Amino acid sequence: MNKTVLKTINLTKKYKDFTALDHVNITIHKGDIYGLIGRNGAGKTTLMKTVTTLTEKSEGSFQLFESTPEELTESKRRIGCLIESPAFFANLTVAQNLKYYAIQKGIVDHRQIDQALTLVDLTKQKNKKFKNLSLGMKQRLGIALAILDNPDFIILDEPINGLDPIGIKEIRDTLKKLNEEKGITLLISSHILSELYLLANHFCFIERGKVIKELSKEELDLECSKCIVIQVKDTKKATVALEKELHTTNYKVIDKQEIRLYDYLDNSAHVNKILNKKEIDVISIYESGISLEEYFDTLIKEENPSC
Amino acid sequence: MLNMIKADFYRIFKGKSIYIALIILLSLISLSCFTMSPGHIGIVATDDTSDVVYDEELNQKLSDTNSIIETRRLVKEYGSYPIDKLQLGANINLYYFFIIIVAIVLVTDLSTSTAKNTLSSAISRKRYYASKLITCLLLGTGLILINNYVSYFLNLIMNGSKFSSGILEITKLTLLQLPILYGIISLLVCLGFCFKKSANFNSITIPLIILIQLIIMGIASLFHFDASQLLNYELQYILANLVTNPTTAYLIKTTLLGLIYIVGFTTIGYTVFKKSEIK
Repeated sequence: MNKTVLKTINLTKKYKDFTALDHVNITIHKGDIYGLIGRNGAGKTTLMKTVTTLTEKSEGSFQLFESTPEELTESKRRIGCLIESPAFFANLTVAQNLKYYAIQKGIVDHRQIDQALTLVDLTKQKNKKFKNLSLGMKQRLGIALAILDNPDFIILDEPINGLDPIGIKEIRDTLKKLNEEKGITLLISSHILSELYLLANHFCFIERGKVIKELSKEELDLECSKCIVIQVKDTKKATVALEKELHTTNYKVIDKQEIRLYDYLDNSAHVNKILNKKEIDVISIYESGISLEEYFDTLIKEENPSC
Repeated sequence: MLNMIKADFYRIFKGKSIYIALIILLSLISLSCFTMSPGHIGIVATDDTSDVVYDEELNQKLSDTNSIIETRRLVKEYGSYPIDKLQLGANINLYYFFIIIVAIVLVTDLSTSTAKNTLSSAISRKRYYASKLITCLLLGTGLILINNYVSYFLNLIMNGSKFSSGILEITKLTLLQLPILYGIISLLVCLGFCFKKSANFNSITIPLIILIQLIIMGIASLFHFDASQLLNYELQYILANLVTNPTTAYLIKTTLLGLIYIVGFTTIGYTVFKKSEIK
């Protein structure tokens, strides 16, 4: 079984009367790219700030790399972060800013600075002062800092904010490369679901400080993909009919009564006819499939009907 | 922690602020030595030239001239007092340089949110606080030594040994003043951690010296205390009194006060910082 990189247990953060995180339980395994999705103010940044100890938790606990609370400071050494907007010293250049943090982290080999800058494509700007960088470049520098120390776990809060489409693709490719080649685990938050979908393999939907859904990419695909939803009294009989009469195995049995068929998408009437011919009681049959945004919207509405 | 201090030194000496502060400090020292009037350049409100004895004739001549060159000639001819020592008595002027140091080392880091880059890694808040305090104390010590010894040598060069008290005396007075000066730096570091934002920090620290005096005077008049007794333990009076042969009891009291400041303000600052959210 994969090792756990981050596990939160009923993690709660309260600001006076406002609960920013409400008993959050998530588990991130080694090698995951874990996407944290939520609206503005949903609690994404608070969760990241809590696990990086930038803010104190009110209740609950969390473990980094299965460490004890006493080992937390040491475990944090294995993390790279970019939380909220990238913050650097305005009067220092890109390279000087990274050198400052390299000295601070005890990095002896300063070639790591060049490597990090190459990864985020900032080599040409290394002698440019931070205050003269564009928003996208600042964002890249933030990512360069997060990967400077060759961390095992990178936490990125809205890393594609302010990037142009080409920049977004480059950052996505870089992060994928880091995950695939170096086995780095990533926790990335965003409210741009379509973008996160292209990168993450696990998703956590968060609303009003609560985790409302945690699922894998496969499960998300299943929830969102186009299909014919067939509700029958006997799924066994129905699957036999699908395989023998319609010659398809591209279906999934969801529960005792529901099957999702991913073929014959524009011919549900034919499917219905076949099932009836085989004397299978069809309760309902309909086409389904929603976009990621619609799915997100549905989840939010389920959690908060007044929205 | 050593790495953090090294990194801060790297950052500070890559910037301009520290050099500007040094140039201003050296200009003030030069001006004080040249005008032969320590304590009259800067913010000092105490009469730390009280042991300067002018005769009536000299006083008259000094009041008749507006020329610095003529003043220098007259003082050199008739006067004899330790300008370097008196310069140390006006060391409350360093207070504003300490504000600059704390602002560069700490407040910039907190107000620009760069502190989150440090605190989200393996640096604990305790180590962060300690390393920032040590960095401020180290830079503060450097500034004190530059101020005191440059004053000594510059005065010796400009005004001659007649107006000098000797390097040993300067060293002794430097050591006597260190606890209270460290106390002031600890107070500023504490305020830096409490207020975080540059604007808040500056608006509190800049008038603080005047505020402390006002509060002491207010308390004295409200409760019918002898204000001068209380003022003897006010920061700028302590620094001025320490160069005028204080009693052993006064030395012990002010050293203790300095230590209490260091421990007390560090405890308060760390307690506030430990619970605060890093933006």
